[in-house]
Amino acid sequence: MEFFIQILIAAVVMGTPLLFATLGGVISERAGVINLGMEGLMLVGALVAFVVMLNTENYFYAVAAAALASGLVSIIHGVVCLMLRASQIASGLALTFFGTGLSGLFGDKLTGETVEPLSRIPIPGLHAIPVLGPVLFNHDVLVYFSYICVGLSWWLLYKTRLGLNIRSMGEAPEVCDSLGISVMGYRFFALIVGGMLVGIGGAYFPLALTPFWVDGITGGRGWIAVALVIFAFWDPVKALGGAYLFGLALALELRLQVLGIEMSPYFLKMLPFVLTILVLTLVTIRNNRRGIQVMPAALGKVFFRGEKH
Amino acid sequence: MQIFLEKRVNTSSSGRALVLSAALLLVLLISWFFFLAVGIEPFAAYKIIGEEIFLTKYGWQDLLVKMTPLMFTGLAVALAAQMRQWNIGAEGQFHMGTFAMTWVALNFDGQLPGGMLIVLMFIMAMIGGGLWGSVPGYLKARFGVNEIITSLLLNYVAAAWIDHLLFGPWRDPVSNNFPITREFSPAAQLPNFGNTSIHAGLIIAFIFVAIIAWVLWKTQLGFKIRLTGDNPDAARYAGVNIRILTILVFAASGAIAGLAGFSEVAGIHYRLQQDISIGYGYTGIIVAWLARNHPLGVIFSAFFMSIIFVSAEVLQIEYGLPISMVYLYQGIILFTALGTDIFTEYRLRIKRFWPKAGDN
Repeated sequence: MEFFIQILIAAVVMGTPLLFATLGGVISERAGVINLGMEGLMLVGALVAFVVMLNTENYFYAVAAAALASGLVSIIHGVVCLMLRASQIASGLALTFFGTGLSGLFGDKLTGETVEPLSRIPIPGLHAIPVLGPVLFNHDVLVYFSYICVGLSWWLLYKTRLGLNIRSMGEAPEVCDSLGISVMGYRFFALIVGGMLVGIGGAYFPLALTPFWVDGITGGRGWIAVALVIFAFWDPVKALGGAYLFGLALALELRLQVLGIEMSPYFLKMLPFVLTILVLTLVTIRNNRRGIQVMPAALGKVFFRGEKH
Repeated sequence: MQIFLEKRVNTSSSGRALVLSAALLLVLLISWFFFLAVGIEPFAAYKIIGEEIFLTKYGWQDLLVKMTPLMFTGLAVALAAQMRQWNIGAEGQFHMGTFAMTWVALNFDGQLPGGMLIVLMFIMAMIGGGLWGSVPGYLKARFGVNEIITSLLLNYVAAAWIDHLLFGPWRDPVSNNFPITREFSPAAQLPNFGNTSIHAGLIIAFIFVAIIAWVLWKTQLGFKIRLTGDNPDAARYAGVNIRILTILVFAASGAIAGLAGFSEVAGIHYRLQQDISIGYGYTGIIVAWLARNHPLGVIFSAFFMSIIFVSAEVLQIEYGLPISMVYLYQGIILFTALGTDIFTEYRLRIKRFWPKAGDN
């Protein structure tokens, strides 16, 4: 039982960066902008958070700077694929290259430096609940912030006019345009806000998971998040479940050996990626069978006033 | 004042060349800032890069050596892209190619007559990469699973598999615990050109460019591939079996990417080790994009991207910059190329307030 709880705690911790990134992806894809640059954005967020943390030793500054930097880098993606109408897929890949290179270049001299990881703050009262308490309410502040972000994203997307407009951009941009709602404006907004969340997800790596710098610190999690957006049916609340499910796979990767299961560590490394492919396939089959079309209809489509596509 | 894009009436090739040169200039300008950011005098850096690459014999050799895998991976991505499929798993297919051929080299050494060993390695590299590539192809064709994500995720699986072999069963016992296999026998090595480091892989790459160009434009299969890319509905109506074709194209694409692995291992390293691919598979995406997915264009864009790789190597030696600098460059180049592409078809117009009568 104790071991079981430990695994669940680790699942929440490992799932947190995925949750931030998936939420970011959900918001920008709901507005019709695919962001395949999430791995790159996470790396930018991780690098900036680590550098700011080293210099200021202030967690708030580190997270804020990571969000800001990733938001800024997302603007490049927006300029290229929204204003200059390039392929969103190609531009997203460029973003991944860019972020990987940026973190590699400026992180090179930081290898081996360490920061103090975020400490756990149990929430008074709630953390004493059996099982649920330690699993959900005895974490660092960023985990709590991720809970808030899930609620905020849901509220933003479904309960505000802003969210309605964002969702409309992903379904029928030409209708929005005819109603005088700025497609460019809302898409940029969603892309930047989404990018900031992805960056915070990246920041979680050096601030909590691995409090030292290694090249490629995110290890492909940004790509898992890209798949999680689909798995979560573009819904912030479902993103929570998806992120923790994969957090569980990542937690098992670290703890299976404790259970006495002999397995090459490299096979365990494959596990989350193989699982992602399997789940993505199952979700696709399920949607095909039920004829559900959950994907935003205008996702990835170039919009330009007065031109037919 | 209003700035807007206006569609050009006719697009000229000189216009394209102009846009391309402007893009190149922009890349140099952006990298200027990055040089300054890491404390390097940009002019001096460009000068050293230019001299090391173009004015030395080693520089030219290295360009052709690095160009070889990039031609294969670029061709692999371009072939799938002709059918509007994104194969961004060339990196993993590269690795599975090296896995399959190394298995042959380690197990059949000395048991096959004459040049059969290297031929078998060549075939196995294609099978290894091809099978790995057909996984996203199958999932796409059968269930409609997004091939971008699956092909990319498989890269991580392949890399872990190679690590498993190198740190486990295939590690050379006399390597002082380095994660490398034993060196292949001369029968498993590709010949070099004279005293240079350029190897026969380059010739094979050119042959494959020719084969793919021929298939795409001179055969019915190629016509089907291009038709499906342009208009899947029309292709389906014309009786093309898109499912089979998708799997086939992904398998072929993976096989070509596997050959990149073959040529690197049999042509340069003569053993399996870590970091044989310094992102060649990923770079294939940019090579294909710059070539507009045309096999012959791949030759030029592979050469261009090879310059980037060798430049990064020079920067690594001269200034101690990490090799991951390559990715930064690639990001900048792809962003710039994507961003300027629109100006071949559109031009920027500035309108001052409201047009007067008689204005355009």
